[in-house]
Amino acid sequence: MSDAPRSEGGLVARDLTVRYGGVVANEGVTIEVRPGQVVGLIGPNGAGKTTFVDAVTGFTACEGSIHLDGRRIDDLAPHRRKAAGLTRTWQSGELFGNLTVRENLLVSARSISFGSLFADVFKPHKATEAGVEKALEVVGLRGVADVLARDLTLGQQKLVGVARALAGRCSLVLLDEPAAGLDSNESLEFGERVREIAADGPGVLLIDHDMSLVMSVSDVVYVLEFGKIIFSGTPEDARTDPAVVAAYLGVPMEAADA
Amino acid sequence: MTTYLEFAVLGLGLASVYVGLSTGLLLVYRSTGIINFAQGAMGMWGVYVFTTLHDDGVLVLPIGSLTLGDEMAMAPAILIGLVNAVVLGVLAHYLVFRPVRHAPDLAQVVVSIGLMVLLQALAVIRFGPNNIPVESIFPREELTVLGADVAVRELSMCLVMLVLAALVWAYLRFTYAGAATRAASENERGAVLMGFAPDRLALVAMVMGAVVSTVGVMFGASLTGLSPANYTLMVVPALAALLVARLESVGIAVLASVLLGVFQSELSLIATKPWWPVWAKSGLDQVVPFVVIMVILFVLGGRMPSRGSLQSVRLPDVAVPRFRLVPTLVLLGVTAAALVVANDTYRFGLTSSLIITLLALSYVVITGYLGQISLAQSAFAGAAGFTLAKLTAQWDMPFPLAIVLSAAVAALLGMAVALPAFRIRGVQLAIVTIAAALAIERFVFGNYSLTPPTGNPIAAPQLFGIDFAIREGRDLARLEFSFMVLAVVTLVILAFVRIARGDTGRAFLAVRANERAAASAGIDVRRTKLIGFGLSAFIAGVAGCLLGYSHGQLSAESFSVVVGLQVLAMAYLGGITSFGGAIVAGMLGPLGLVYTALHQWFDMGDYYALITGIGLIVTAILNPSGIAGQTRMQIAWVREHLGHGEEPPTSGPPDTGEPAPSSGRTGQEVAGRV
Repeated sequence: MSDAPRSEGGLVARDLTVRYGGVVANEGVTIEVRPGQVVGLIGPNGAGKTTFVDAVTGFTACEGSIHLDGRRIDDLAPHRRKAAGLTRTWQSGELFGNLTVRENLLVSARSISFGSLFADVFKPHKATEAGVEKALEVVGLRGVADVLARDLTLGQQKLVGVARALAGRCSLVLLDEPAAGLDSNESLEFGERVREIAADGPGVLLIDHDMSLVMSVSDVVYVLEFGKIIFSGTPEDARTDPAVVAAYLGVPMEAADA
Repeated sequence: MTTYLEFAVLGLGLASVYVGLSTGLLLVYRSTGIINFAQGAMGMWGVYVFTTLHDDGVLVLPIGSLTLGDEMAMAPAILIGLVNAVVLGVLAHYLVFRPVRHAPDLAQVVVSIGLMVLLQALAVIRFGPNNIPVESIFPREELTVLGADVAVRELSMCLVMLVLAALVWAYLRFTYAGAATRAASENERGAVLMGFAPDRLALVAMVMGAVVSTVGVMFGASLTGLSPANYTLMVVPALAALLVARLESVGIAVLASVLLGVFQSELSLIATKPWWPVWAKSGLDQVVPFVVIMVILFVLGGRMPSRGSLQSVRLPDVAVPRFRLVPTLVLLGVTAAALVVANDTYRFGLTSSLIITLLALSYVVITGYLGQISLAQSAFAGAAGFTLAKLTAQWDMPFPLAIVLSAAVAALLGMAVALPAFRIRGVQLAIVTIAAALAIERFVFGNYSLTPPTGNPIAAPQLFGIDFAIREGRDLARLEFSFMVLAVVTLVILAFVRIARGDTGRAFLAVRANERAAASAGIDVRRTKLIGFGLSAFIAGVAGCLLGYSHGQLSAESFSVVVGLQVLAMAYLGGITSFGGAIVAGMLGPLGLVYTALHQWFDMGDYYALITGIGLIVTAILNPSGIAGQTRMQIAWVREHLGHGEEPPTSGPPDTGEPAPSSGRTGQEVAGRV
């Protein structure tokens, strides 16, 4: 954790600080996610979790350094970070409601340029591709692939967001509250999917309020409070760490789960 | 030096108009969140009423008129003119703006443009298209200040306008209603909860705005005379002042208006100096506001306030077009047969409709697919048309190549206009593009050193030894030309269908839906906008070339901003999100088939623009998806009720005829895939 060699794969976000006017939303946050690893990021409301995701993916300005697979990416625009393999979902879904599920994924899987105009006219691509179908398979949305995204249930929309993040090149995915709105069964199922995604190669940073989900699927857990990391370690250690327990309403984690 | 002072004071006359219009715009924006493109036209009506009363003693109403003696004295005539402005404000509020107060930005822009087209058309019908003199209430005297003879008239006008603007400022600042108006503009629901009535405040603001603008126009018209076209478009420089004031401050809007007027006056003095380049004399009055707008936007950047900035342009759904061989062939066959059997007049009308279809298609690309409001499409068409004139007449470039090159020039211009779209969207982009279009129209198309007033002849197209000229001897609409147009339009539409179905169309729709999510999905939003503006301007450029061939020669009037707005109106009427809508727009468009029929049967050519404006307002209020969209939904409804035995579609027909997984965007789900 202390001195990460740049050559290693995965995400290394070091000393990220985000200021909104006078408010410090993230202060010196350092988080690493290795390929194939599931890392949980938890913290009370307003702790700065989404701010961290926005900073890493380029949607808010920050200080500090961000490396992906050994390459420095913090000076890249969001779409270039995506092209480098860093993908994300949004807490509020942010799907293209006027496109079908499959089209949502295709947007992510293909980039366009001026040449695309000519390709579309003279040599159109097929209306799907392997990566898209695979991502649909992983989240179990094959059956609704041709439905407009906005006609789905909230839970399904969250899954579309995940599938969209996986559809193109993806070496690391940031999941911002993907299980919010799922019932406990769906949530359990979703946990298995997250493990499958990581087993397939990409690292996963999972942010969620569902403590049992995060604790059960994560290899490593970070706890954020008032913009600072107050704990990093295994989920088992997190449950008994006094600082973490204090942050979560002063009750032990087992109680907070229930 | 004294000359400069004299010209500065003369500029106060123009400044008075700007103060009146920008103050009115600001009042309306602050109370409703709507940018009223019809502010100039609304200010104009009362002045027409006043001047016809004063000169002839006739009270002209929208329909009919009353003769009230010979000539009416100044004061009562002005009073009645202002009463007309009040009535106009009330009508505009209840009939036009109130129904769309919760509608998307685009619908609000469209209704205000509809009102502008309507009032201008009505003014032409009721008062004639020519410039008429308006008497000034101030004496034509001069006052010697610092050795300069400054005009009392302009000084007095500006003083009156400053007093009116100060009253508006005081209303917003000190009165209870003004505070509520401010609150309502920040947060309408909050204002309602506090016990205010935003609706009544909006009404008051609309009326006050109309009155202030009318006074401004009355002063300005006493210097320049009054013509419908003139003051309708005077809203553009006023919009520049509004943007300088960041849509907020009355004081800054007034200051900007005065500076703009004075600066333009000084510029007209400087432009007479021998060292001033001849090519840069024309249209300066429109270039200055455009430059001001651009500078302001780049300096202020993203800090411009906007209400409901998320999803600022909500648009009807897009039905992804599919190429179907049989309907395409039937449509082509019917069109070709109609061209063959029609007489000259109708053949020309139908050919014009085909060309307008392309211009409308360019709006479908930029607004329907990409979600950006561009009012500069006529300028793109014109750029291509004038390039074509140079290429064919001076360099003898052969026909299809000349079109492609000219349209490419339009595409480059389109991409240049896209640059502001990187930072702004919605109504503000509409303001920038209309200012750009006006600047290009006046500075380039109307510039005699670039485009000679004797006309810009375009050589007739020829290919493989066939002459595609539109005229030959007494034949005024040759079939060869019409078929050439049909072929070009068909090719462009087919290419559009493929692009709309392809990766590019999908990326456009993603940007339209959500720019932030699009960026997180790897889309380069800026590049996508460049591609969209380029493609749209290219299509408009092809239309401009065909229009050029059909006229044989071009003038600035061939591609006026107003024609562009009429086509936007038609595209919106037809349905801005589909090429079917573009075809409907083509049939309805200026000089098209319906226009020809109206002209032939009822001799109602003059009423065409009026009907356009009314149609636009009604469509925007009642039916944002347009005629084509409405028809699609009706077909879907019929199919559903005939019982296809499938899941009921939410809003459109399921694609039962096609096994491919990508279905129509409005379709719910292909049966059997669950």
